[in-house]
Amino acid sequence: MPKCIIDGREAEFSVGENIVDIAKRIGVSIPVFCYHPGLSVVAQCRMCTVEVEKMGKLQTGCSTPATDGMVIHTNSQKVLDARQSTMEFLLVNHPLDCPICDKSGECDLQDYSFEHGSQYSRYTEERRTYVDLDMGPVIQKNMNRCIHCTRCIRFADEIAKLPEMVAMQRGNATEITTADGRPLETDYAGNYSDICPTGSLTLKDFRFHKRAWFLKKTPTICAGCSRGCSIELQTHDDHVYRIIPRENQAVNQYWMCDEGRFMYHAYQEESRLCVPWFDGQELAWQEALQQLRAKMTGALFLVATDLTHEEVDAVSQLAQFYGAQLLAFGSDTDADYDAILRRTNMAANFHGLKRRGLSWYAGQKAELVIIVRAGRTKLPQLGETPWVGMGVFWEKEKTPSCQGILPGLSYLEKNGTVTNFQGTDQALKQAVAVPGMCRSVPEIVMQWMHGGERG
Amino acid sequence: MLLSKKKGFFTRIYIVEIIQGLAITLKNFFFSRKVTIQYPEERRAYSDRFRGLHYIKATNGVENCTACMLCPTVCPAECIHIEAGEQADKEKYPVRFEIDLLRCCFCGMCEEACPKDAIKLSAIYEMATHSREVLRKDMLLEQRGNK
Repeated sequence: MPKCIIDGREAEFSVGENIVDIAKRIGVSIPVFCYHPGLSVVAQCRMCTVEVEKMGKLQTGCSTPATDGMVIHTNSQKVLDARQSTMEFLLVNHPLDCPICDKSGECDLQDYSFEHGSQYSRYTEERRTYVDLDMGPVIQKNMNRCIHCTRCIRFADEIAKLPEMVAMQRGNATEITTADGRPLETDYAGNYSDICPTGSLTLKDFRFHKRAWFLKKTPTICAGCSRGCSIELQTHDDHVYRIIPRENQAVNQYWMCDEGRFMYHAYQEESRLCVPWFDGQELAWQEALQQLRAKMTGALFLVATDLTHEEVDAVSQLAQFYGAQLLAFGSDTDADYDAILRRTNMAANFHGLKRRGLSWYAGQKAELVIIVRAGRTKLPQLGETPWVGMGVFWEKEKTPSCQGILPGLSYLEKNGTVTNFQGTDQALKQAVAVPGMCRSVPEIVMQWMHGGERG
Repeated sequence: MLLSKKKGFFTRIYIVEIIQGLAITLKNFFFSRKVTIQYPEERRAYSDRFRGLHYIKATNGVENCTACMLCPTVCPAECIHIEAGEQADKEKYPVRFEIDLLRCCFCGMCEEACPKDAIKLSAIYEMATHSREVLRKDMLLEQRGNK
């Protein structure tokens, strides 16, 4: 393998790799604004310039592929001076409104300005300002903060496959905007906020709700469809404020769709049922299960395609206990939806249930149907058959034939394993406390089968 | 082992010590300056840097605060609660700004952290109340003490 030397450290690399990536791998940080590993390279922010021996001028680390025996300095005085000048240049028109900017605390511009920039501004002229157009329901634009890195334009062209972001005008007057000023149309608009290195494109949904440094981060898996993107739940005081994608080259690279990004709201709604409910009244767990045990004749168990393997295991034990049939419900097809990330099956563990060899519900008759689901799979058409729900349900789903609800946990509150469309088992991790009187399915099953005095 | 010290007769009756002590008391009573003041009527002058009741500075009737959340971040007692919102003429402003005085330790870190010179500590030190209400924004805007 070819080798190069970065800051005196020897690094192996594969042919074609750029200096920024190699440096990152061996633990040398080179500041970048326009470079993003998931997007094409344009080398226009000039922040990543490094000194390469035997090359006259400074080279941009993101667009220079390393060669065998290259000697690179990322910390020489020449580089540091260049960085400071670049920072000053980028901040010429920046409003420095960090106190009101949602990005502050996780802003590349803020971090690098602190690290490499000058403490004082020499600029005394009037700063360039723009009037911002509305960009639709997801993204809030503030063009004054923009440093023209064009990450958003490249994201629209290359990842979202919808070239809706354009750079208008030239030079100092460059304005990043949507074509014809239309609102954003892509289903992946939330990523604009993630890749923007400044606060120019921020999420409307997250706007002013929480400062970034208060958020507790839990790495988990999105339960929105059968892809199972790696995500990070950002919470504070047991309330989810935001979801951002995590890098996972095998599944979602660096991105996630808007549906997955904002679906957590449903689980934090007031109308989610969080108290055991049976025959028209809210009960304690003990009494609700007592009443349910008396009714268990001719029961049929239905497990949803969004349950974890652990939950399906627990329910199948319960079904065995009653000698009842266990069937799966929910859409039984899966395909690519838009050739980007989204899949047509909107349940996290469809492929897991398929792998377990469960047969699908097809209108089988029963005296009582126990529906177990995690809130994502659509309820089956049961007609007049009385049913009891276990898991996540909302007030509007209580049909007249609903006999009872045993509130369970959503993907925000539970640990478990789900299988994605590639057959990979991935782990859900609990991020927030269990709401109300909800309980996990295994816990409910345990008390159901063995009694017990709790609650 | 305890040893009892042998003491002389004069030491044992304490007369000399009592007279000496009384002399100091009387000297202070008649000849030294008074240290007490008639509190509600008379007041002490405190230093300008005294850290008393909080207030929010306003410019042209609009509070300086932009709800940047640096004061609740730095607050060691976690007594400041801010909810940010948006207005037509001000991009970010505090919809709710509350200080729980019972928790506050008057360290003045909020004043130090504030980038907008909005939260300040006045010289007001009389904070006894009959209720346990928290300080709300309108009250904080009004209350400025002698500053």
